[in-house]
Amino acid sequence: MNKFFSLLILGLSIVSCKDEPELFLNPSPEKTGVTFKNTLEATDDMNILDYLYFYNGGGLAIGDINNDGLPDIYFSGNQVKNQLYLNKGNLKFEDITEKAGVAGNSDWKTGAVMGDVNGDGFLDIYVCAVVGLNGLDGYNELFINNGDGTFTERAAAYGLDLDTYSSSAAFLDYDLDGDLDIYILNHAVHTQSSFGKADLRYERNQQTGDRLMRNDGGTFTDVSEEAGIYGGINGYGLGIAVADFNLDGYPDLYIGNDFHEDDYYYINNGDGTFTEDLKNHFGHTSRFSMGSDVADLNHDGWPDLISLDMLPQDEKVLKASEGDDNIQTQRLRTDRYGYHYQFTRNMLFINRDGKDYQETALLSGVAATDWSWSALFADFNQDMQQDLFISNGIPKRPNDLDYIKFVSNEQIQSKINNTGLIDTKALDLMPSGVTHNYVYEGSADLQFKDQSGKWIANDTIVSGATAYADLDNDGDLDLVTNNINASPTFYINKTDEKANYLKLKLKTQSSNTYAIGAKVYAYANGIKQFKELYTVRGFQASSEPLIHFGLGDAKVVDSVRIIWPDKTSQVLKDISANQSLVVNQENTQAFDYNSLKPKQQKLFSKVTNSLGLDFTHIEDAYSDFDREKLIPYQIGDRGPAVAVGDLDGDGNDDVLFGGSKYIPSQVFIQQDSAFAKTEFPAIKKDSINEEVTAIIADFNQDRKNDLMTGTAGGDFFNRAKPLIDGLYLNDGAAFSSAAMPELFDNTSVLATYDYDGDGDLDVFAGTQAITGSFGKTPVSYLLENEIGSFRVAQEFKDLGMVTAAVWSDFNRDGKLDLVIVGEWMAPTFLENKNGRLTKVDLGTENLNGLWQSVIPFDIDGDGDEDYLVGNWGENSKFKASADAPMVMFYNDFDNNGQTETIITTAKEGKYYPLMGLDALASQVVSFRKKYQNYRDFAGQTIEQILSKEQLETSTKLEVQTLETGYLRNDGGKFEFVALGRDFQVAPVLSFCKFDFDNDGKEEVLAAGNYFGVQPFHGRLDSFNGALIKDENTVIPGDQIGLDFARKSIRDLSILSLNGQKYLLATPNNATSQLYKLD
Amino acid sequence: MLKKLSLLVLSAVMITSCSKEEKPLVVTPDDYNNAVDKVTEVIIHDIFSPPVASRIYAYSNMAAYEVLVQNNPDYKSLAGQINELGETPKPDADAAVNYDVAALVAQMEMAKSLIFSEDRITEMRDSLYMQWKEQNPTELEASKAYGLKVADHIKAWMDGDMYKQTRTMPKFSVNPDNPSRWQPTPPAYMDGIEPHWMKIRTLVIDSADQFKPIPPPAFSLEEGSEFHKQLMEVYDVRNAMTEEGDESEKMEIAKFWDCNPYVSTHKGHLMFATKKITPGGHWIGIVKIATKKANADLMETVYVYTKTSVALFDGFISCWDEKYRSNLIRPETLINQYIDDAWAPVLQTPPFPEYSSGHSVVSGAAAEVLTQIYGDNFQFDDDTETAYGLPVRSFDSFRNASSEAALSRLYGGIHYRAAIEEGLKQGRQLGQFVSQNLQMKTNTAQASN
Repeated sequence: MNKFFSLLILGLSIVSCKDEPELFLNPSPEKTGVTFKNTLEATDDMNILDYLYFYNGGGLAIGDINNDGLPDIYFSGNQVKNQLYLNKGNLKFEDITEKAGVAGNSDWKTGAVMGDVNGDGFLDIYVCAVVGLNGLDGYNELFINNGDGTFTERAAAYGLDLDTYSSSAAFLDYDLDGDLDIYILNHAVHTQSSFGKADLRYERNQQTGDRLMRNDGGTFTDVSEEAGIYGGINGYGLGIAVADFNLDGYPDLYIGNDFHEDDYYYINNGDGTFTEDLKNHFGHTSRFSMGSDVADLNHDGWPDLISLDMLPQDEKVLKASEGDDNIQTQRLRTDRYGYHYQFTRNMLFINRDGKDYQETALLSGVAATDWSWSALFADFNQDMQQDLFISNGIPKRPNDLDYIKFVSNEQIQSKINNTGLIDTKALDLMPSGVTHNYVYEGSADLQFKDQSGKWIANDTIVSGATAYADLDNDGDLDLVTNNINASPTFYINKTDEKANYLKLKLKTQSSNTYAIGAKVYAYANGIKQFKELYTVRGFQASSEPLIHFGLGDAKVVDSVRIIWPDKTSQVLKDISANQSLVVNQENTQAFDYNSLKPKQQKLFSKVTNSLGLDFTHIEDAYSDFDREKLIPYQIGDRGPAVAVGDLDGDGNDDVLFGGSKYIPSQVFIQQDSAFAKTEFPAIKKDSINEEVTAIIADFNQDRKNDLMTGTAGGDFFNRAKPLIDGLYLNDGAAFSSAAMPELFDNTSVLATYDYDGDGDLDVFAGTQAITGSFGKTPVSYLLENEIGSFRVAQEFKDLGMVTAAVWSDFNRDGKLDLVIVGEWMAPTFLENKNGRLTKVDLGTENLNGLWQSVIPFDIDGDGDEDYLVGNWGENSKFKASADAPMVMFYNDFDNNGQTETIITTAKEGKYYPLMGLDALASQVVSFRKKYQNYRDFAGQTIEQILSKEQLETSTKLEVQTLETGYLRNDGGKFEFVALGRDFQVAPVLSFCKFDFDNDGKEEVLAAGNYFGVQPFHGRLDSFNGALIKDENTVIPGDQIGLDFARKSIRDLSILSLNGQKYLLATPNNATSQLYKLD
Repeated sequence: MLKKLSLLVLSAVMITSCSKEEKPLVVTPDDYNNAVDKVTEVIIHDIFSPPVASRIYAYSNMAAYEVLVQNNPDYKSLAGQINELGETPKPDADAAVNYDVAALVAQMEMAKSLIFSEDRITEMRDSLYMQWKEQNPTELEASKAYGLKVADHIKAWMDGDMYKQTRTMPKFSVNPDNPSRWQPTPPAYMDGIEPHWMKIRTLVIDSADQFKPIPPPAFSLEEGSEFHKQLMEVYDVRNAMTEEGDESEKMEIAKFWDCNPYVSTHKGHLMFATKKITPGGHWIGIVKIATKKANADLMETVYVYTKTSVALFDGFISCWDEKYRSNLIRPETLINQYIDDAWAPVLQTPPFPEYSSGHSVVSGAAAEVLTQIYGDNFQFDDDTETAYGLPVRSFDSFRNASSEAALSRLYGGIHYRAAIEEGLKQGRQLGQFVSQNLQMKTNTAQASN
């Protein structure tokens, strides 16, 4: 380990000697004159054991305190005195703390922010403090700027002298009365021995509850309670972001809470109150939420959000650190204690018109930046795209598994049990959590490129609070970090003339002199950029109050629109680039926020009463992971079946919904103007079956529709009867069960066609997986119909894990052939010739995916059938490409008669298991013998973990692409074309073809999302559906009236009632939806 | 390279020492105690759960015992008495086997194969080998060969005990809709451990459910119901103890018998483990105290370890069989949910269903075996827990100790009274059965006893 680190350090220093970083230079403290150092001294009374946030670091605020045009810097220190540095120009700074009187008197200082609290045009400084914990004394201090380089501490007079556990504060004018109010972020210290119910947040706690302080002209009033701000003992507030998330003119808040407490999403109601509404807008959040930031990343004019966590990127650290909860603990937390879904990684939330957030951190490449504190979005290279800087590191990494399980026992226990004190020796043994800061280059398509080590030199310092400012007034944005036990790091941006910029400083006549909350739109080179002026960003810090736009090669900004906090706006035209412009609020016009409301083209209108189709699917509690702990995803949650057709012979559409294990299917019969739930005894009798697919058709040629059901569930095994598919024949009076071949399979799809032309409907029955032997290739079948009785006409032993199939004449011989997709297999074409289905290679052989759905659709309008194929998407921990496929090793690794799977993905050319040692050893104990500690296991490739024999005898299954797309028909051969980013955020499970917009042409509606994965993946919940008109035209589902957000849609069907067409969308484990089609 | 070199040097030393006269190797009861203590140490380090730990103790002691009985007519082999255990192989006719050495070799070899951190065993083994080699290489080689042979015999038998198979069996499925069903408990919310331990092959008892206790009181949160009364007793006892303070007798008893191998402590991001011996490990410690006090020779020492660990092993199977039959929820969960959400037990609730109490069952079983061997009035000072910062407690008899161990679970706030009383009964019956049915002494020996 030591050797590794010294090698690493050696490597770093070599790099830093040789190459100067491309974008940022780090002038030394000697050069800048900034010698502040947040030196931490662990004592018997104050250390990581006594205070969980001992290593969170100090604060940092940048702003021009003397209005000389140069931004000055204020640092707060936890135990050391705060310091104020005056910017003398040329990146030279002078310590004026003493003269200014801002050293501070509290024992433990945290966040520091600047704002013009009294509206006199000079920036004041507010410094938070932790008070009352372990005898820490003091209060939050407010240094009022006297305008002459001196300050007077006046927190008490203003009513802001809180003596609580503050971590930071943010300025905002929440009631739009023209002055700055303050949100004070406090943090809990309550041990997390037991989660406690989420309801704890409703009970206000003096020390730990957040506060909203209203500025009443010279004094502040605590309005937390009346404003609806939570103040519980479980609010571990570390992150705060202010933005008008729903663009109604009123600032909203996102509060990031550490540990199990949910983050809070406060929507400003505009009447002095807020509504916390996280669960209705976010599918999941970061778990150990730390800092956050907001910016419009995709130029749609809506503020997007990042919330940081602590997932390591480096395998050596990742596999030696405590990871996510297991699935049962997660269920306990969500179902029993009322918390939302939270996962240990950074989350990037893309704002969808102020309604729902699409979370894309894994897809965007910013999910894992280790122990992260501050995130700042800004256009550092001035290419008109927002980049991202993340500070991180912790002096001691307390979640090191070896430390927790092996080291701590011997070193800590007796000491802490007997004296409550910390043994410094024990602390010394805790490994360091130093990681370099990260910088990412942004792009409009939400892909972030890691430029750490290139744009910036990789450091070995623990950095926390970070702020940006144009310190040298050269137009580009510089950065400063407040570090632990080291002087601040300056990142001086040398973009200079390489790209253009526009800097705006806003002035109002109100008390909110700096126009905090103003929105600015810049249009240049045909690109819209949108910014909101909030200075408190990142973590425990405030940045220079300015609006900065990178302009690339644009010399002129066509127009700049400013919406002032008082809902007036003014437009500036043809503004030259490369200037710092002071804009006074003048010649304004009232601004109508309704004009920002998205213009919806509502193709789908939800029918509130569903016309009696009142169905809620309930997934049974069975978890595949209880039985096969290492499989990549569940197989037991693939329902429900949905079949639309006429069951009672009146010519109208009826509907069958399958039930999960032991839950009866439900049949709805169409009556005059609605559907009525109707019982079919023969079907109800088989409620043990889990129906995942079903077909209504006349199977015995008596001109009455029968019903066939495909059963699965992943729970039944061997020759369990519920695994035999169901057939219910209709004699006109009733349905009765008929025999199906004794095929004991988890069926995934039934596809009917008279393949042999004998006048009856034959069936392809696809099989997804074998219960208890995930990874083994199951057998699928072609069933030949003999007057309502089926026999196996053909067995397909090596097709793969089939999920969907469709009959389609791809060889254009007038007979339908079969197109099949599935998991760990490529889209497969079976040609229908001479009464047999024969596999033909049509160019898709190396396209193994986790395919979920397929539909024929001439997407390019060239007259032949292309095939849309739904895949897993690229927004999960699975990674696959043709060059570096994902590989699943399938074997009985411990020779106990039960097979296991190990999923591996490539990182820089080497294959690592996705799961950690504990998970692997829970199934194969011998791994614990091979690796007696986590350090040895971390960084091991699969070739090192498995023995030669285990490697050789394993069956290896591959996935080469996870992208959803289409197979373009190119003269009978097929080429895969990926669809856009929207389709890659989650699995695409269902397609439906119909002329939804009445233009005489068919479109395909796609839907998906999937939750049957282990918590370390998170929840694949960000696909809101999409309408595919042609290869270039796709309309997101949430813009055309669909309510698919956070639901896992398994079936899309069209049905008619009284001549009116409807779309029936059925999710797993939720209520089905009916939409009227206009 | 360095190692190789020093080995060479060492062997050179030994070659020269060969000229010395070879003396018979001596293994004292304390040598064996040390080897068992080493196993305990590794069990703690590797964090084996109580049932799995009982398997390590039982199989390693059995191997040593099977070696010794080959050379001691007063004792009977376990072959034919332990389920599916066949005849122990004999040494080669002309081999100069020192059975005491071979027994220790077999014990260490079994322990090594059963734990994870092999280095910790091999370190001790190699240092013993080095000593022995210096004293009598001929005897060492012969004894080593035989010890390993017997260990192989036990390992081959061990392979059929379903342990490997149970590793891949389904996890305990939590169903929070059933209010009486066990749920993971704070702070680590670990999965229920060893939900298939009842499928492990028993040693002496016929089947896992041979000593099935009566069912626990019917689950009910109605005031006045037996279950509710017992739930409130746990709550009230804890509250009374808080008033009495940390120095109270009850508090001492609770802490003394905690025997939780992995107590997880969370302080913010900081987590650490306090690791201790298991309930089985505690009784293995009592065996050491008792055999020392009785001045037992090596044979007797190994006999007492073996018989006690066999009872512990079957005790855990019997107990786990009931635990995952009744799947009863822990008092902490119910009290937090319905009575007081800030309530915490004195001891950390261990991660498996409540009924019956594991410590009660295995303490009952071990105490019966020890009582059968050393009688009911065997006074001893129990210093097993001093290494974990706990005081010495003195007992007049093994049975008294087991009664206190059982009751400690109520004081610890982790069991209802029924689990303690019925668990103790279950364990005592099982212990008596093992005592009577496992005949380890020949009749002549017993008569002279």
